[in-house]
Amino acid sequence: MSRIWRSRELLVFLLLILLVLVVGLINPNFWRARSLMHILNSSLILILVSIGEMFVILTRGIDVSVGAILGLSAVILGVALNAGVALPLAVLLALAVSVLAGMVNAVGITFLRVPPIIMTLGTLGVYRGLMLIITGGSWIETIPTSIKFFANWHILGVRFFIWVTLVIVIFTALLLRRFKKARYLYAVGDNEEGARLMDIPVRKTLFTAYTLAGLFAGIAAIIFVAQIGFVPMQAGNGQELRAIAADVLGGVNLTGGVGTPLSALVGAIFLTAVDSALVFVKVPGYWNNAVGGAILLAAVYLDYRVRRAVAAQQRQARAAVRKENNHLNPSTREEQA
Amino acid sequence: MKAHVLKWMKTWEFGLAVLLVLEILVLGAINPTFLNLENLLYSTSDFTHILLAALPLTLIIITAGIDISGVSIMGLASITLGLTWVAGVNIFIAMFIALGVGILAGMFNGAFVAATDVNPLVITLGSLFMFAGVAMGLPGLLDALGFKAYGAAGFAAYMYEGISGLPHSFNQIAHGGIGWAPYPLLIVLVFAAFLGVILHKTRFGRYLYLIGVNPDAARYSNVPVKSTLITVYALSGLGAALAGVVLTSYFTSARSDLGKEALLSIITVVVLGGADIYGGKGTIVGTLLAGFLIGFLRQGLLAMGVTSDVVPVVVGALLILVVALKLFVAAYNQRRLNQKALKMSEARR
Repeated sequence: MSRIWRSRELLVFLLLILLVLVVGLINPNFWRARSLMHILNSSLILILVSIGEMFVILTRGIDVSVGAILGLSAVILGVALNAGVALPLAVLLALAVSVLAGMVNAVGITFLRVPPIIMTLGTLGVYRGLMLIITGGSWIETIPTSIKFFANWHILGVRFFIWVTLVIVIFTALLLRRFKKARYLYAVGDNEEGARLMDIPVRKTLFTAYTLAGLFAGIAAIIFVAQIGFVPMQAGNGQELRAIAADVLGGVNLTGGVGTPLSALVGAIFLTAVDSALVFVKVPGYWNNAVGGAILLAAVYLDYRVRRAVAAQQRQARAAVRKENNHLNPSTREEQA
Repeated sequence: MKAHVLKWMKTWEFGLAVLLVLEILVLGAINPTFLNLENLLYSTSDFTHILLAALPLTLIIITAGIDISGVSIMGLASITLGLTWVAGVNIFIAMFIALGVGILAGMFNGAFVAATDVNPLVITLGSLFMFAGVAMGLPGLLDALGFKAYGAAGFAAYMYEGISGLPHSFNQIAHGGIGWAPYPLLIVLVFAAFLGVILHKTRFGRYLYLIGVNPDAARYSNVPVKSTLITVYALSGLGAALAGVVLTSYFTSARSDLGKEALLSIITVVVLGGADIYGGKGTIVGTLLAGFLIGFLRQGLLAMGVTSDVVPVVVGALLILVVALKLFVAAYNQRRLNQKALKMSEARR
């Protein structure tokens, strides 16, 4: 239980509540259920991309191509729908492309052993280029309304996609807690060599992580198309950096092995809430990035100070114990001398 | 002497130089105007900003760090330049103020990296957003404070087209030159020479490699790790600011979003130049050659009628291919060495 209280997720969640309270004091409209629901609804895409990115960061990797995969899948979905492909089939096609894109990253990283940042930086260019080639550089507008319906479909007063995302978050959170093979992600990220010695299939685990990152970007792409109703060429642009920021903010550690889907969830909602909050306190929208970046830096700095303080405390405790032992048992001191 | 030449011919830089010559010849065979030296030199102005950011980034990558905030510092420097000029400061003094802002931004990154154990990627990701946000917000803030940063067309027009109408003498920076050599190319070469001397001829340069290979060993051998890191990130900020100034002159207007698209190309150039993302390896010559290689490739593809959409596909694929090939060659050499050692030990037995 004490672990939960010390967790970064909770810290950011409390900060989120503080943010909502303070902004609400300045502009009470922010407290309305509608505004809060709106924030949740507009953070869905980032939540999903961040969870996908989290799988990769857990293994101590990084994937900067997820934004481009989002864009590519969105384009595939848009083109397929406009070509008259049935909605379920078009969605499946878009997801297949995103999985394939993730697998290309995985092949490069696990079999060719290209460093993850290089591999995904390369495919970032490739996927974004493909997206432009497919559309000829023009936006995909006039997307059939069949898919837009889902964005406005309410179940029990809550939007359909919020339910979908919620289910995905809970499912992945349970999976990562209870499912042994999912725990491999943590083992590989924490100590790759150790994991190999323990007979954990490192390559397969890494492969799965990058493939999942692709899949989640694909799911985000479907929500993107449904919510926006068209596909601009900037779709997903810079989303990879926001996803990494959301993960880190929520407590996913870039050195691997630490983090949960809740980190991604809380981090993504927080970043989106900051954007909305600025609107409510009448700060112009172009300050969003400055505030988001400053919050990220403040969070990692705070985290560093806390970690150091905890480490110092533990060291002191150990030293105290040793001193006491020496005091009780002078013979050991003589032995040491 | 002969052994020396042979050794040099095995280096990565030599391979890049050969590739560069081949590339120019192939592109020239397809389109003869490409072989016109004057054209070739002037076409470098399209990508000098990438080199200006990539050259000092090489030093950071040698220390096993990374700085992705340079693309934001370009915009920040550009808008600083524009705003100080509008405030009535001489354009060249404004230029130095912009460069100073770049150095300060870099020092901020460096101090953060030196003071904590947080991954430089996270730190510069945070500052990437922060600097870009400040660059975007600054004109609006000044406008709200009653400082008019724009011309007769109004604030909305300014937000669209940036601060234009800069003096002709300033615009000459990107469009003028000495003889056949355009100023931006000369700036790149001087900057590269400066960084090359720092990296390869000074103790500071040796420290960079040591920090990249083993930061703990560096600390224990009394290397001033903190000040070295701050300096090297400050140099990266300076390079990005220089790139921002050159871009401002190139587009003849100061904008806060200049250089936003350059990140992929910048890192590609450094890695293609032979720097190891895990630290300890890299040269200025390598980055310089790789910059020209990628830059001319882009030019050549565009001249051949390939649309600009295809260019990132080629550059991205090239990046992956080169790194994969390099790893393969390294693994092959290692294997050969192992087999050789095995044979020798067997013979001795």
